[in-house]
This record gives sequence, C-alpha cells and structure tokens, in this order.
Amino acid sequence: MTPLKSIYHWLDVRLGLGELVEKHLTGYLLPRNINAWYSLGSVLLVIFGIQIATGILLLIYYVPDAEKAFKSVTYIMNDVPFGWFIRLCHAVGSNMMVAVLLLHMLSVLFMGSHKSPREMNWLTGFILFNLILGISLTGYLLPWSQLSFWATTVATNSVGAIPIVGEYLMTFLRGGILVGPPTLGRFFAVHVTFLPLAIGAFIVAHLFLLERIGVSTPPFGLGETKNNWQGDSFRYQSHPGGIPFFPNYLLQDMTSILIYLAIFLTVVFFSPYIFFPPTAFVPADPFKTPAHIKPEWYFLANYQTLKVFPNELLGLMVQGAAMTILALLPFLDRSKERNPLKRPLFLSCFAGGIILYIAMAIWGHYS
Amino acid sequence: MQTSSRREFLGFCLGGLAVAGAVAVAYPILGYLTPVKTNESGDRISFAATEIPPEGAKFFKFRGTTGVVIRKQGGELVALSAICTHLGCVVQWEKEKQNFLCPCHAGRFTPDGIVISGPPPKPLERLPIVVADGVVTVG
Repeated sequence: MTPLKSIYHWLDVRLGLGELVEKHLTGYLLPRNINAWYSLGSVLLVIFGIQIATGILLLIYYVPDAEKAFKSVTYIMNDVPFGWFIRLCHAVGSNMMVAVLLLHMLSVLFMGSHKSPREMNWLTGFILFNLILGISLTGYLLPWSQLSFWATTVATNSVGAIPIVGEYLMTFLRGGILVGPPTLGRFFAVHVTFLPLAIGAFIVAHLFLLERIGVSTPPFGLGETKNNWQGDSFRYQSHPGGIPFFPNYLLQDMTSILIYLAIFLTVVFFSPYIFFPPTAFVPADPFKTPAHIKPEWYFLANYQTLKVFPNELLGLMVQGAAMTILALLPFLDRSKERNPLKRPLFLSCFAGGIILYIAMAIWGHYS
Repeated sequence: MQTSSRREFLGFCLGGLAVAGAVAVAYPILGYLTPVKTNESGDRISFAATEIPPEGAKFFKFRGTTGVVIRKQGGELVALSAICTHLGCVVQWEKEKQNFLCPCHAGRFTPDGIVISGPPPKPLERLPIVVADGVVTVG
C-alpha cells in the first residue's frame, strides 16, 4: 500500500471517508441539463476566500488611524514587496465580487430557481448581497483618501433623511456630527470583524439550505418546466440518473473559476485603476470637497435615484420599496411556471429592471 | 497499460501545474511578509557628547536593535549593545551601582559589558565609538 493510500485507509476506518466522498462528491447527482451559471456560487466562494486572505495580509501593514491610514496604504503600495499586488487584488476583488454576485442573482431569477421551496435560499442570498455592499462601503473609507472621505460623507448623509431618527442614526454611524477619525475606527471594526463573520455565517446557512433542499433543475431543454413542488411535506430534490458532482461538475466549477481568475488578474495587472478615480490618490482633506465626487459603480444607480427625486426621503423610500420587493420576490411570484420564455410579464420586468438599473448608473456617471 | 501511463502523465502535468501555481502564490506572500529594511537606524549614529550625562547613559536605536553609550566615572565613553546576551531583554544602567542590570533574570554587567553575575553566558557586545569635536559617532 502506498503511503497516500495508507493515510486514506487510516482516516477511512475512523471517519468513513469513503461514505462521505460517495455522498457529497461522486454520488451527489445534479440535473442532467445543469448549466455553467450554476457554478457562479463556487466562483463567489473563491472570491470571498481571496478577499479574506488578502484582507488579513493588508492588516499587517495598514494602520486604522486618520493620521496614518493614507500613509500606510501608500507604504503598502510603494515600499512593501508585492504590497501593490495584495492591495490591488483586494480592491479589484471587491468590485468583481459585487459584479459576480449580481450575475449569480440574475441567473437565479432568470431560471426561476428562487421559487418555492427555495424562498430561504433566496432570502439568505439577498441578505448576503446587502452584507457584501456593506463590506464594500466600509472598506471604501479605510484608505482615508479624498474619495473615501467624501463618498462616505455622501453615503452616510442619506441616512439623515429618515424622519425622526435620521439625524441620530447618522451621528451614530459616523461617531460624530461629521465624518472624522471616529468614523474610521467604527468602519474599520465593522469591516474586519462584524461583516466578515456575518457573511461567513450566512454563507454557511446558504450552503446548508442548498444541501438540504437539493439543487434546482434548470427550466431549459426539458418538456416539463413547471415547478412540481406540492408543499405538503419535506422532500429532498434528488436527480436520479443525473451527472455526478465529482468529477463532472467540479470540472465546470474549475473552468468557471479559472475564467474568472483570468479576467480578474487581467484587470489587476493591466488596468488596475479602472476602479480608482484620481481622488483616490489624494489624502482626505475635511476642508476641501473635490468636484464631481461619484460613488462606486454599483452605487451609481442609487446615487442617481436620489438626485432624480426632489425629496431625499422619497428617493430613499423608492429604493427601499424596490429592495423589499426583490427580497420578497419568491413570496410574491407564486406561479408554477419556471421557464422565462413562458412568463412574458416576468421577462419584461426582468429585462426592464436591468435596463433601468444600467441606464440610471450611466446617467449617474455622466450627470 | 497505455491508458494508465497516459493518466500518470496527465497526473504529473496537473501536479506540476499545481506546484507552479502554489509557488506563484507563495512567493509574493512571503515577499510581502518579509520585514522591510528601513534606514531609521542605519549603520552609524551620531549625537552630541553632551547628551550623555556624567556617570550616566544614553540609549538609542542602532542597526535595528538598541545600543547604549555610558560615561564612566573617569569620563571615558563606552558604547555597547544593550541587548542582554541571556534572552535578549534590554539592560538598564544603574547609575548608583555603576553597572548594568538586566531586569528579566537579574544578569549584571560591568560598565565594559563583562558579566558580573546571573545567567548571561557572554559579555555585552562592544560597539566602535569615535568622539570628534564634541560629536559621538557609534558604528
């Protein structure tokens, strides 16, 4: 017996490894018509792993002090060996994470995978989306650049429009009346401890639900595309005669991950500054607001919505309503049909929503 | 047999790729974690001789560690590494006793760095010192 086989045997007789491999890898069957979009979850797990690893490395040199933060980031970029690489991976990775997450959610919506009995998968995913936006926003402030400072000023200012408690909430978020050193302390703590833990917990919940309920069948390439869940009792959605996760679908996962890494590293090496406007390279100056300050691309639509409505509260309420409808979609959209081509109303809303979001973002960028 | 050797070859290729990938990831991370050399405590340090009080000591950062210059009773200046040779604590100058004490395990050294008592196995390292025009240069 080779040493590797001996180790496997040693573990197998103690832990039943063979049974685990059979249950979760080779015997874990997926629908025969499964497609590449199902691998975006694995891509997101890899991105989150890279964010955690690069984040821990950045913590070694980053100083969360308003006097020293910008200098420490400059030091990481210019003096620490490969510091530029670690930091750019983290900053570019956060943008890519939001982009891939949006694609993942859109593909789930398009294939009707959010429908019952997977309401909780959708809800945990939706909460994860909000947590990812939160971790991106809080991380944005940490370099303490002009961009960080004023983007945070604008973002936290919106909270002030909420009636009665708005002012208090804004001061609470900022740790003072204006964005300043106490804000950095708060955002830093939330960014490196609370949010990563919360995201980790929701990922575990999301995966548990996936494992417990089973993978949905894509509504393409089959005669029957209706949701046949009865709602009478719990049953795991198995796929007899389907393709095994290992090695078949793992290969698709690896392909998607490598395609993602190719795109990600191309941006990191060849065009890292597409996500950095010039104000990102100037230290924060609380007395000088730069002209034309804009939020990150994924907040541009929200930014423009606030500008379109004459009243800030109204703008916030419209966004709140849109987010609530999205969160509760599986409870509202109860039709059995899952094929988008047989759901004209859904398809129109889906396409219209994407066009509106992109149009608002472009408008926000050029306004 | 042919299939098996082809599999083995592909296995080797994949293994090689995995090793290359691991090296490509590990190399920048190790580089990133390696302490950056700084110039703040360079090879030489100079300061005014008046900064060393009579029968007293002056501690300073030197080559990434701590050095000390003392003015002995006769006025002679001595430069030593302030790192105790036992377990690396920084020794303290005791003016009234005119010797060094390492507070960690009570090692004692003469003003010239020779061990008087306690666990230190070796004397304190002597550092080259030059005094010219009232300026002390160590290193």
